[in-house]
Amino acid sequence: MKGTVLVVDDSAMMRKVVLRVLKMADVEFESVLEACDGNEALALLRTNQVALIMCDINMPIMSGLQLLQQIKDEKLAVGVPIVMVTTENSEPQVRQAILAGARGYIRKPFTVEHIKNNVKPLLAS
Amino acid sequence: MSITSVKPKAYRADEFLSSHNLDRADATVTEIFNLMFGFEIKVIESAADGEIQAECDERTAVVGFSGAMRGSCQIRTTTCAARSIASAMLGGIPIDAEDDSTNDALGELCNMLAGGWKNGVPELSSECALSPPTVIAGRSYKVHVSKPSVNFSRAYRFNSHTLFLTLYREESSLFRA
Repeated sequence: MKGTVLVVDDSAMMRKVVLRVLKMADVEFESVLEACDGNEALALLRTNQVALIMCDINMPIMSGLQLLQQIKDEKLAVGVPIVMVTTENSEPQVRQAILAGARGYIRKPFTVEHIKNNVKPLLAS
Repeated sequence: MSITSVKPKAYRADEFLSSHNLDRADATVTEIFNLMFGFEIKVIESAADGEIQAECDERTAVVGFSGAMRGSCQIRTTTCAARSIASAMLGGIPIDAEDDSTNDALGELCNMLAGGWKNGVPELSSECALSPPTVIAGRSYKVHVSKPSVNFSRAYRFNSHTLFLTLYREESSLFRA
């Protein structure tokens, strides 16, 4: 992947962990954008073209699921793969995220293999 | 037209205190420490083995449960242990004593533990929500649970550090039989 990755998580630590594991999984990117909630993410998506969005669900102000609903209206985000990275993995929640537009779903804790299996195929396609 | 809301079925105290939930807690802790940090971790049966050194500051992270069960997941450990966890999360880079990453890492660990545990409980998986984590740091503090509650605790040992996990289920008038 040659482009920008947007990591959305209210935990600065988890944003760093996601970026570190993406690199370990050989997901290459030119630049990184970080947002700590859905609102910040939307603001960034209005002015930046990104190639991948990694997004938490449980966040203050605007959750990941709310972000998925609103992101559909953002022209620069059309077709960008969105992968949810979350502790929540009940079937209804996964279904809700996929129906709302998520292309992948990774449960915390995750490994390099999880990223390779769930993120790299999205970028190849 | 009438609007009806469906309340989640309350998770009973006897279900909460079942041995399955202890096993789920142990399995969740082990999975997270192995996968995320690369640490071996084991349950300490003797409370004396798990006492936190008095000279160290402590940190406690709390994540609340709401929905089919009200309560919280609390983890307690030393600041040194929390720094070790933060460092492992970031691939082994050193963490300064006052670095916010320490609190952030402990909060995330608590979040993963609470989420992993409740996802393993069929009655709670999609019927119980988590609050954002809160982290308390200092010496000689006590985390007070105001409502009547039942709980179970476990102590774990990793890299010569001790981690205490306590899960609380609050009694609520809403759910009282």
